[in-house]
Amino acid sequence: MFGELVGLLFTSMIVNNVVLAQFLGMCPFMGVSRKRSSAVGMGMAVVFVIVAAALVTYGLHYLVLVPLGLDYMDLITFILVIASLVQLTEMFIKKTSPGLYKSLGVYLPLITTNCVVLNVCLVNITNGYDFPHMLMYSIGTPLGFALVLVIFSTIRERLDLSDVPEFFKGNPIALVCAAIMAMAFSAFSGVI
Amino acid sequence: MALVYGILFLGALVGIYIFLYIQNKKTPVPKGCENLKADCEGCKITSCSLRDKKLKEEK
Amino acid sequence: MNRFQSFKNGLLKENPVFSLFLGICSTLAITTSLNNGVGMGIAVICVLVMSNVIISLIRNITPDEIHIPVYIVVIASLVEIIQMLIEAYAPALNTSLGVFIPLIVVNCIILGRAEAFAANNGPLDSALDGLGMGLGYTLAVCSMSAIREILSTGGITFTNMFNEDQVLFSFQLIPDDFTISMFSSSVGAFLTFAILAAGVAWYKARDAKKAETKEVK
Repeated sequence: MFGELVGLLFTSMIVNNVVLAQFLGMCPFMGVSRKRSSAVGMGMAVVFVIVAAALVTYGLHYLVLVPLGLDYMDLITFILVIASLVQLTEMFIKKTSPGLYKSLGVYLPLITTNCVVLNVCLVNITNGYDFPHMLMYSIGTPLGFALVLVIFSTIRERLDLSDVPEFFKGNPIALVCAAIMAMAFSAFSGVI
Repeated sequence: MALVYGILFLGALVGIYIFLYIQNKKTPVPKGCENLKADCEGCKITSCSLRDKKLKEEK
Repeated sequence: MNRFQSFKNGLLKENPVFSLFLGICSTLAITTSLNNGVGMGIAVICVLVMSNVIISLIRNITPDEIHIPVYIVVIASLVEIIQMLIEAYAPALNTSLGVFIPLIVVNCIILGRAEAFAANNGPLDSALDGLGMGLGYTLAVCSMSAIREILSTGGITFTNMFNEDQVLFSFQLIPDDFTISMFSSSVGAFLTFAILAAGVAWYKARDAKKAETKEVK
């Protein structure tokens, strides 16, 4: 049981990485990866929002929607819950901790329409995870996202200094780098 | 009956979201954080609340 | 403004995917076969046209402070409807697209067009804009999925979306021994996308140069 949970954590983090294997969260992956400091901030904000959103949506689905026979409303419920949660978190941090707001505040509003969050909430339900599995999946996925984002931002810092073919400048060359990273990460599938 | 619950539930969620959205906009940004900027050129997330500010700056 | 011109721009020069880099997630993920590409394209066109029309109709009664929550609710409801329709009438498509149908909600193209165009224009113009942008997305998705399917399986097999056993057409270009299976994995997706995006950048630059020389003359 314990081994299986740890396995799920690492599978969702590295082998089935959200960005490189499932192509989710490409917007922040391309947009917020210019500097390492912003990549770290974004990564932390995503971890926080996903864990919170997964807990709330999981609870709502099994305690409210299923007993009322409304489980076909998953999608619209989840998107509203995520959006509200981001607003609530931002407001809470603004009021209580200016220091935390300084490092995370800018990235929180970016997360409302981040597909990683919605995907984790939906997959928790469609895969029928029980509570411990749900927790492991919801922690592993954003950690994998943060890991790849930080690695990618360090690559892009170097990329700015290198000589790139004219039409590949900007996003296309970044995607080529992502392809090579995906190749490297796919090698992990034999390990775990 | 489920339909009534569904509509009520949905209405409540929308209400909560809009309430929090307005409250959050009203809450002032803490001192020293007024001019925080995210280095996020190229990000196309349009519901981001920083975008209004950014668009104004560009104009 | 010439309506036809803006419609044409959405297809190539201002292609939402390759030029504006909107909605990359689904483009990369579902383009393993032409079937998926066409299905996803049609779903996005439906949602985009309907959301543009509805948002343009309610643009005058939406309070300015809460326009984003309103848009999100409208789009989420529309996607929910489309998802149920696909589940009922095209179950094979539903399984192969999987979680990417509900994820149309967070596809940046839809909220982006709602905000940038539908919020300021009449319903007819908004519908045309939605159709143009949707077709641009479909074109991008279909070209990418065709390239990837040919390189990874050697040919294209296109089946009827509502009945998976009925093959509409299929052909084989590359013999089985010479296919590159890498292109069906994530590596191929990123590479194909990068090369196509660079191609569109080249086309745009060439066009701009042409216009410049014309002005000089």
